[in-house]
Amino acid sequence: MAEKSLDCLGEACPIPLVKAQKEMERMAVNDVLIVNVDHSCAMKNLPDWARSAGHAVEIEEVGEGEWDIIIQKLK
Amino acid sequence: MEKKTEHYDVVIVGGGPGGMTAALYAGRARLKTLLIEKSLIGGMATYTSEVENYPGFPEPIDGTELMKSFDKQFRRFGVNVKLTDVREIRVDCCTRTVSTFRTDYVAKAVVIATGNKSRLTGAKNEDKFLNDKGISFCATCDAARNTGKRIMVIGSGDAAIEEGTFLTKFASEVIVSVMHDEGIMDANKVAQEKALANPKMKFMWNTVVESFEGEEELKQVVLKNIKTGELIPMDVDTCFLFIGYVPNTKMFEGLIDMTSRGYIKTNEDMETSCTGIFAVGDCRDKTLRQIATAVGDGAVAGYMAEKYVEEMDYVQKEIFEAKGLTMAFVYNAIDAVDREFLSRAEKAQELHKGKLGLRRIDIYKSDRIACRLDYSKTPSLIFMQDGKVIENVTDLSAIENKIAEMVAKHG
Repeated sequence: MAEKSLDCLGEACPIPLVKAQKEMERMAVNDVLIVNVDHSCAMKNLPDWARSAGHAVEIEEVGEGEWDIIIQKLK
Repeated sequence: MEKKTEHYDVVIVGGGPGGMTAALYAGRARLKTLLIEKSLIGGMATYTSEVENYPGFPEPIDGTELMKSFDKQFRRFGVNVKLTDVREIRVDCCTRTVSTFRTDYVAKAVVIATGNKSRLTGAKNEDKFLNDKGISFCATCDAARNTGKRIMVIGSGDAAIEEGTFLTKFASEVIVSVMHDEGIMDANKVAQEKALANPKMKFMWNTVVESFEGEEELKQVVLKNIKTGELIPMDVDTCFLFIGYVPNTKMFEGLIDMTSRGYIKTNEDMETSCTGIFAVGDCRDKTLRQIATAVGDGAVAGYMAEKYVEEMDYVQKEIFEAKGLTMAFVYNAIDAVDREFLSRAEKAQELHKGKLGLRRIDIYKSDRIACRLDYSKTPSLIFMQDGKVIENVTDLSAIENKIAEMVAKHG
């Protein structure tokens, strides 16, 4: 189970989503992707997309207005 | 990966204004409280660019900003927050388990505040352009990206007209597709007047979406005139859907009573059909879905959850953790026959003082304590030894003899 980090700090929608989608394609099932974001909009579309694509998502609040979106690729 | 288990007094599912208010009340009542939100704290309220009707803010305030204040306030009271999605809620006699991907949260009371999600049109190719491929539900999220662009708004309610007007600050042209006849909109009058006077807004009356077209990204929306059947292709960069909402309640089907449209039925104390589970805000069956009404619901549910947890703790301590022989007299205080048997039970207990305790359980207001003892009717006398039911007596004609017999055997 590999783990990869993706720094999207300072990037506005839809860039974090597009980057995460590309990264997920390269990953194997059960691998974990951690996306660092600070744009609140990414908190809506990124988890929404990941869940609709069938993956598991949890979010850690790292600081005020800064989050790690943790996605485990499930298929 | 093994699941963890954590224990709470109250678990709130959903971090919109209703859920946050319930968390505020529960936290302030010193209950061990957890709020679970699947993405961004604030819920649908963060989709609103200008909130004009939430009291206390005389000037319009951005929905996201307002929700940040809510967030700050409830966290002051020691509420834990977990940002993840809930998979299911399981119920047994005295606990409710809220299950997420990695953890089971065992709670005494649960508040459902899962809100609404935007409704889709159901038109052709819609699913191809969701998730930031040209169909949006959030003007504040996607306004800047549409600076100088031509965009479309579907719908004529408050959200459609107010957000459409907001978008004219960025876009060069905002086309509004309305299914009603010319001049008829569902939005409030103030918003309608503003929109009609706005030179950047163009209305397409009697139209609905026929299909969405484009390669990777949305290029064109084909509208259909519902009177003439005429198809009208229009090139746009983004299409915003504001055609109402559907409740986020699918996972509770079969667990609690809902309306045919999936809204959760509650009484005015926010209690659902399932004891210990409350529901607040937009996912509840009610007339007006606003931040202001969600806040009211949340306050009631937070307070009722506090009462409920208090009651459960009392029952736990006084009945299930009681040592020795105890009898629970289950009765209805407004029933004369029940009261007569109660006084006979009290007199009989006097005779055996120190050998058995007596707990009076009145079901008049609520029978949820009695339910934990599996009572079947009133009056009934339930004997317990060290917190475990040993006999449930419903024939009380010889109540004195029965009590004497139990004391002789177990006392």
